[in-house]
Amino acid sequence: MIQQFITDAKRGNIDLVEHASKALESAHAINKEYRYIAAWADPVARAEQLQQLAKTGNARGKLFGVIISVKDNLCVQGVESTASSAILKGYKPLYNATAVQRCLDEGAIILGKTVQDEFGFGGFSINTGTGIEKPLNPLDKKRTCGGSSGGAAGLTKKAPFPHLALAESTGGSIANPASFCGAVGLTPTFGRVSRYGLIDYANSLDKIGSMALTVEDAALLLDAISGPDPHDSTSANAPTDPLTDIPRAIHGLRIGIPQDSFPETMDNTTRRVLMLALQQLEQNGARRLDIKLPISTKYGLAAYYTLAMSEASTNLAKYCGIRYGASEALSGNYNDYFSRVRDNHLGEEAKRRVLLGTFARMAGYRDAFYTKAAQARTKIIQEYQAVFKDVDVIVTPTMPLVAPTFDELKNLTPLQHYQMDVLTVPPNLAGLPHITIPIGEAHGMPVGLMITAPHFHEHKMIQVAKSYDKK
Amino acid sequence: MTKNNVKIGLEVHVQLKTETKLFCGCPTNAAEPNTAVCPTCLGHPGSKPVLNTRALEFATKLALALGCTITPHVTFSRKTYFYPDLAKNYQITQHETPLGTNGQLVLTEARATADAAHKTALPEERLVRITRVHMEEDPGSLIHEQNNCLIDYNRSGIPLCEIVTEPDMRSPAEAEEFMEKLASILSYLGIFDLNTCVVKADVNVSIAEKNYQRVEIKNITGFKEIYRALLFEIERQKQEEVRKETRGWSAERGVTYHMRLKESEEDYGYITEPDLPSFTISETWVKSVQATLPELAENRAKRWSTEWNVDSGDAKIIAQNLDVATLFDDIAKHGCDPILSARWIRREVLRILNDKKIGLTQTEFDSHHLAELFKLLSTKKITDRIGQNIIALLAEKKFSPAAYVDEQNLGVVADESALKKACEEAIANNAKAVDDYKKGNEKTLMFLVGQVMKATGGKAAPNVVKELLASLLK
Repeated sequence: MIQQFITDAKRGNIDLVEHASKALESAHAINKEYRYIAAWADPVARAEQLQQLAKTGNARGKLFGVIISVKDNLCVQGVESTASSAILKGYKPLYNATAVQRCLDEGAIILGKTVQDEFGFGGFSINTGTGIEKPLNPLDKKRTCGGSSGGAAGLTKKAPFPHLALAESTGGSIANPASFCGAVGLTPTFGRVSRYGLIDYANSLDKIGSMALTVEDAALLLDAISGPDPHDSTSANAPTDPLTDIPRAIHGLRIGIPQDSFPETMDNTTRRVLMLALQQLEQNGARRLDIKLPISTKYGLAAYYTLAMSEASTNLAKYCGIRYGASEALSGNYNDYFSRVRDNHLGEEAKRRVLLGTFARMAGYRDAFYTKAAQARTKIIQEYQAVFKDVDVIVTPTMPLVAPTFDELKNLTPLQHYQMDVLTVPPNLAGLPHITIPIGEAHGMPVGLMITAPHFHEHKMIQVAKSYDKK
Repeated sequence: MTKNNVKIGLEVHVQLKTETKLFCGCPTNAAEPNTAVCPTCLGHPGSKPVLNTRALEFATKLALALGCTITPHVTFSRKTYFYPDLAKNYQITQHETPLGTNGQLVLTEARATADAAHKTALPEERLVRITRVHMEEDPGSLIHEQNNCLIDYNRSGIPLCEIVTEPDMRSPAEAEEFMEKLASILSYLGIFDLNTCVVKADVNVSIAEKNYQRVEIKNITGFKEIYRALLFEIERQKQEEVRKETRGWSAERGVTYHMRLKESEEDYGYITEPDLPSFTISETWVKSVQATLPELAENRAKRWSTEWNVDSGDAKIIAQNLDVATLFDDIAKHGCDPILSARWIRREVLRILNDKKIGLTQTEFDSHHLAELFKLLSTKKITDRIGQNIIALLAEKKFSPAAYVDEQNLGVVADESALKKACEEAIANNAKAVDDYKKGNEKTLMFLVGQVMKATGGKAAPNVVKELLASLLK
């Protein structure tokens, strides 16, 4: 779908300036109602540049003329980038994140920055920073978009113009909102995409990925941003395989279904939709195998939250009101000052994670929590690697439920919030690529199916997803 | 066995002389505040560290020169503490696996120094065990003004190497010798600039009388201050109650002062630095670094005194500075008498460097012309006095000493008939000295020799003058 648009744009068959102006207008209208965008770039000015290129026969790039949105935690030069935290209010980065720069190099037009849970701390986009409005589900405004990439998913579903979203996942922040909004969400292997310019949540877990309405479009964007980057020492050195135009035939492909991947709490309607999807994959020629991931199931969530919060608590230390972002009147000593800044400008969930994360790495507790969690992660990776000897991909529901209403969320404890990530966390913890695709509806809301592949085998999960995706 | 009644351990921080910072491409030599900064060393959101492999190589050189075992996997940690000069409010350091471990540095001198009270009768060699050598980033610097505190981030991210010893030193003199040896190694390796890079140390010291209760003194800047601080602290511990505490050092007042009690170790909440992978160091690479290590000062000095019979005191002092040592080696290779050359380099070349507080590279000295000069001296073509004059000129400009001596007619005058008149004049003009000499004061003869030297512009051969005067005064 987007490929055709790009071909037309390159040929000069589309008035990009007019296209961008209209898109901007409709995005503003959507935003008034649904609150997906936190800061705006200048898409019309950019479209003018590209239009010139098209006119002079210099239209180049995999994303030529495509409007993209960028999750707020990715730095865009000169455009306020706060990771939806009040503590970074007014911060305009001096440089583009590598993923953003690569999109620009491929001819993309940036629309703006999409709202998220503050620093990625949440699964429902209700933990936005002080003063930042919560995004609403594009299909039902009483419900959440999911999170943390909530704005990205909502806009992807709602945008009436060709649009791709740069999103980011630490423990499920792409799959979760894509599933709740009925979009495709693609999270790559850890290291496939450079994290340079990503405002860190948990560096050893953060992965930049894509959202779109079709698998091919999500793959197109991921393809454009993949590959080694000297600015991120943890980016994988190996050149990456192309992800577009992967054939959809899955005959003989072995699909593993983990025991316990249908939680008891899941309602029957949702369960039935998912079961039908699995049957569909079998009809398409896949071979279904039952597998077990006992360590991931038992320790995944605990290990994930311990590691993520430990790293987050160090990442957030730099926000102290001295060089950028929110500040306060100078008084008292340094400790008084930065405590006041952080107290006034960090949200409640951010504070909770700083406290828990600091505790988990304190001398005397570190071995029992932080170090233990790191060991558990190694075991979980090994467990997956063993399973992937027998199966090509693993298929599970993406979320244990459809998008809940804001009222339902009010009654949940923080722990219950964390437990919603039970299916998305294990592959994220293991750094495995995974994709969620909408496979039907329950209670009028979209249901997502998640396909997980071995490290750097994105093409396999894309293959399976495409066999399902009719578009 | 001598009772060991003082224990001193050092944690030395040295800045490595790399062109760029440890984790970003900013230069290390900026002058104007906050001009050598970027998102990474300013701790901007989304910035990431990238390891400067040159710094890794420098640190590996040092660890190897100190006899350390090099870890096969280099990892980094975050050390979290809030301080205004620390851009990220955590420092990237090596906590779990330091680059080098289990090294040693051998002390060789028993020093009779000002701290006679602490001097111990030393065996010839004393081993100081090196616990660890690791890399870390320097924080920025704070500039305190009357009502303000300014932060300069130029220093933020400059590579540091930390050298931690066991408490194996037994006197401030030993700590001083350790620091001198370390400085010599650093300059030999070419990884440290004595003129621009800064050395800081934390020292721990304890004494037998107080049950070896350990006191730490933080952040002493400069070699001499370490010695002074230790001297003061040992005396203080003898006279006062000793608590487990951290103290500071005031160079102005010359005292250590209480900072905080150390009930337990500080909690820095270390985690693995997740933005940097574990770097695997191959044995081949370590060997290639090892192969670049120069012959160190101690070995050079030994070689000179055993192979060339150079005075061991001269050898040690010349060997301390790599440039001077290389100069001496080159001069000796030009076929000069090594004993004479060593003496002249120590007395004259080093004196000029010390007086002017400059390094050898800031002078015009070169081995070719110095060798020519030393040959004139060893063949007694010129006097020592003339030699001294010429060496001072050679520091300023390059020229041929032999040609200069010919041109200026500075060759030694050893002909008795030519010197006789000057000697007679000296006797005639210094009646009192002559009188004293005749009364038996032999020393006044040298005074008269000096008068003749002056009158001849330093060209007279002093031994000839001396004999001539003695015979004239018989």
